[in-house]
Amino acid sequence: MAMQSSDESNDSVLLELKGVHKSFGTREVLHGVDLVVKKGEHVVIFGPSGSGKSTMLRSINLLEEPDSGSIKILGTEYGPGVKGGPQVKRGKPLELRRYVGMVFQQFNLFPHLSALQNIALPLRATRKISLHDAEKRAASELESVGLLPWAASFPSQLSGGQQQRVAIARALSLDPKIMLFDEPTSALAPELVGEVLAVMRKLAQTGMTMVVVTHEMNFAREIGDLNVFMEDGYVVARGGRDFFDNSTNERAQQFIGSVL
Amino acid sequence: MNLNGVNFRWSLIWENRAILLKGLATAIQVSITSLVISLVIGLILALARMSSKRAVAIIASSYVSVFRGIPALVSVIWVYFGWSLLFGHNFTVYQAGVIALTLLYSAFFCEIYRAALMAVAKGQREAGLALGMTRIRIFVSIIMPQATKIAIPNIGSMYIGMVKDTSTFAVIGLVEVVRVTQNLNSVNFQPFVLYTAAAVLYVVLAFIVDFIFRAIEKNLSTPPSGRLSNVLTRRRRERIEALINKTG
Repeated sequence: MAMQSSDESNDSVLLELKGVHKSFGTREVLHGVDLVVKKGEHVVIFGPSGSGKSTMLRSINLLEEPDSGSIKILGTEYGPGVKGGPQVKRGKPLELRRYVGMVFQQFNLFPHLSALQNIALPLRATRKISLHDAEKRAASELESVGLLPWAASFPSQLSGGQQQRVAIARALSLDPKIMLFDEPTSALAPELVGEVLAVMRKLAQTGMTMVVVTHEMNFAREIGDLNVFMEDGYVVARGGRDFFDNSTNERAQQFIGSVL
Repeated sequence: MNLNGVNFRWSLIWENRAILLKGLATAIQVSITSLVISLVIGLILALARMSSKRAVAIIASSYVSVFRGIPALVSVIWVYFGWSLLFGHNFTVYQAGVIALTLLYSAFFCEIYRAALMAVAKGQREAGLALGMTRIRIFVSIIMPQATKIAIPNIGSMYIGMVKDTSTFAVIGLVEVVRVTQNLNSVNFQPFVLYTAAAVLYVVLAFIVDFIFRAIEKNLSTPPSGRLSNVLTRRRRERIEALINKTG
């Protein structure tokens, strides 16, 4: 219980990445990335394509297993560990993923299931819960993203924006402590971006801890408590709310200027 | 009917309808039993072939290369006579037919499953993992349903091939359509009439099989269409509607 109360304080660290290295073949895409995310904080990660943003995000829930480095969530360490670091007991990926929700660029809804089943199936698969309770929870999650009337619809019958909102509802139904967004609006037609950002904005306001990889600079400016600029597998610059206007890093400024 | 001095006795078909249909029933029985078993073995082979353990993958792919190339006639003679010569154990003709077909078609189904499993988008597995689902659960609830839908048309075509391959089992004395036709012909000497009847039986069965598999395919499509799935999913749809009304 003591741990619980320390989690409740606003400054407590929820997630800590240390020395995360990752190579694909001979090409190293992450050169030892560090990141600290506090509870309730909204982190924005941006940078040119190929800079390792997505790989970094995907290593948080071990969809990409780092070659070395540590991922610490709620006091437990996951991943292979920092090179030469102390040997500690490491948690299993399955356990880690219970705390971490993720939203993908391509939505990745299950096409053979209705919107409601898309949410109810993982609920049923990951916790002891009756079908009735799972569907009730799924319905209330759909309602909170404004899609309850589409509960029986299949992904192919929904617009990209609606699919992404279902995907967000699906991740939230599992009560994650932190939500990861991997370019959630990049696959959307321009007129559909707004509805997804609106859901994310609402989520940010509820105090959910979020790590967002995005090219939507206006949205980043709006929610980013911590802004991280990556290039070539390095964190080149980082800063707080004034980062977009006052960053002294030339590359970051160049990039912001080119995107805005 | 008389053509070039040959007398065609078409009435023979109707007179022997019961025995001809019984032959067809045997063909269906052998082929369906083989279908069920080889679908299971084919899936296991496909998983083995995609295994990261090299030895396992090589064994599975060797099996496929060998058995895909063996004709049904050779396979059934080998199983029926060869096995008995080697081990002194006799299979019944029915068993030999099922084993022969299963050996061959497991190899084909392995390839069909492998292609279907690989066609399921990579993001599906990742989504399942990110949601905290176990690998087995992801396979059963997410990957397999989608792969099955992709595989169904090919499985249907293969099944028609299986039915036709049962005709070669006449050589070991399985009383299927061709064996019945041979027996009738040896008494009546009406090859044209009797083999036409046999051909028609196979074609009609192929039509029915095609119809059934198309219906399955339709019901597996998303959103499902077709009467069967309408009936099967009605309760679920009603449940969702009730939920919408209650929650909204």
